[in-house]
Amino acid sequence: MMKHACPGACAVLLLFLSLDRAEAHPHVWVTFHSDVLYAVDGSMTGVRHAWTFDDMFSAYALQGTPHAKNGQYTREELASLAQVNIESLKEYGYFTFARADGKKLKFSDPVDYWLEYKNATLTLHFTLPLEAAATAKAMKIEVYDPTIFVDFEFAKDMPVSLSGAPQCLLTYELPHQPTPAEQLRLSQLDSEPLDAFGTYGETFANKILVKCP
Amino acid sequence: MTRSRGVILMVLAAIVAVDAIDGMSAQAAPFGAPHPADAMSASGVTGWIFAQQAAFYRSLSGFIRASKEDGAAMWGLFGISFLYGVFHAVGPGHGKAVISSYLVANEETWRRGVVLSFASAGIQSIVAIIVVAIAAILLGATAKAIGLTIHLVEIVSYGLIVLIGLRLLYFKGRGFLIAGRELTWSAQAPVLALASAHRAKTFQLPAPRFSEMTMRGGQCMVDGCAGHVHGFYCHNDHHESAWGHAHGPEPAELAGTGGWRRGLSAVVAVGLRPCSGAIIVLIFALAQDLFWTGVGATLIMGLGTAVTVAAIATLAIGARQIASRVAKARAGFVVLMMRAIEVVAATLIVAFGALLLAGYMASEQLWMFTG
Repeated sequence: MMKHACPGACAVLLLFLSLDRAEAHPHVWVTFHSDVLYAVDGSMTGVRHAWTFDDMFSAYALQGTPHAKNGQYTREELASLAQVNIESLKEYGYFTFARADGKKLKFSDPVDYWLEYKNATLTLHFTLPLEAAATAKAMKIEVYDPTIFVDFEFAKDMPVSLSGAPQCLLTYELPHQPTPAEQLRLSQLDSEPLDAFGTYGETFANKILVKCP
Repeated sequence: MTRSRGVILMVLAAIVAVDAIDGMSAQAAPFGAPHPADAMSASGVTGWIFAQQAAFYRSLSGFIRASKEDGAAMWGLFGISFLYGVFHAVGPGHGKAVISSYLVANEETWRRGVVLSFASAGIQSIVAIIVVAIAAILLGATAKAIGLTIHLVEIVSYGLIVLIGLRLLYFKGRGFLIAGRELTWSAQAPVLALASAHRAKTFQLPAPRFSEMTMRGGQCMVDGCAGHVHGFYCHNDHHESAWGHAHGPEPAELAGTGGWRRGLSAVVAVGLRPCSGAIIVLIFALAQDLFWTGVGATLIMGLGTAVTVAAIATLAIGARQIASRVAKARAGFVVLMMRAIEVVAATLIVAFGALLLAGYMASEQLWMFTG
């Protein structure tokens, strides 16, 4: 008897399972540049981020922020908003996840943070120091929002940079399974920039890799 | 038998169709790899929807800016808003699951399903407009304060969903137990009339319904012997018809006493929670001194959302009706199955509400950056 009633019930269940999974969708787009910081002794000390929000979210975040000149916000006027941003981001681990040779690294609270308003967009600058400086042959830093509410995208002109470790090789990966042809291109990153992948605007997990001898 | 086989075939065909579209969309993607986020979180179809709504949303800002200089751009904005609403509603946070479960549990008609879907989407848009109008325009509140307000509204909304689910679960759970008892009773005390009605089914179409009626009447009669129990069951029966059994879309039933009120609680609970996208669009429009354009876009976005929610609700009701038709063709255990479906649907509402409340689903955290 059970199996006769199943199709209807199963169809209903199928509907729920397929259509209402915990799938968020971005409402905030962040174009970011990350600078990986190394000390003179060859250990990684932290990451310096510059996150530029999309114009709609920038307008939302600026709502109610007092400012002297119409259409302009100074760093001082934005100081309290920057403070709020940084405090709110703590819960999400600053969307930055680092591993040294596969071992998880911990970040401490951000330092040197401020907001900049330019071209109708806000850019949040902040430095995320590692709790303890780490040395590794392969350092991996991922920037993404697992809930996809925020869509992180490497800045096209200057996605990543490396400070203080000339002996190390810096690469970055866009979040998808590369085909053999793409792998070939990824291996030629140094000679050819990655702008051909510019269409991959909305990205998920952005990987920054630092390989040291 | 052939009918249930047909239903199984239909479901299978639907799955195959979805899989086929899945494969196609994966192949059509550039470089043979789907959108990066799709590969991790979604299959091809949902990934495609995801990409579409993202594209629509991102183009909204350009259209709002353009309508500042060119009034005609407003029509483009409205068109995109509608499409964005349609695609966006497929994601979480628009009460599809809650509304659909509610309709399934309450044995609603598709007409009421459509009306309730539109009502909840309408309330959602209006709440967004009211929040922005009061908080941003009148009070000049910061994004932090607005985010907090929305967070509180969300908690209330999710709490109400849990309560509605619990209430439904209580009534439907009793219905299920009664159906179970009816079955035990009919098995334990074989009545000739019932048995003959069962047999008559093969010749007569209305027979199953007749047998169901006999069972109901009989049950009330038997239980009537134990005075107290009689009151309980008959009271419940009465309650059930007041809550759920909307078999025909008679206008009186659609809008009459208790008609709208019946669905109102669910509609309000779901619609209370404004969509983050609408809030952002409204504030962005406000920053461009185009608040009313933003209001128009938000309402049209809600219309698009309503279309999707209504479509999904109709599917859910359709699935339930197929199951119900199968159940009507064979009395007995299947009646119990139908009650079981209602219990499952009510349980789903409680589960969705609880998950939303706990923050496991629909993570539209507008306060992510702004406290």
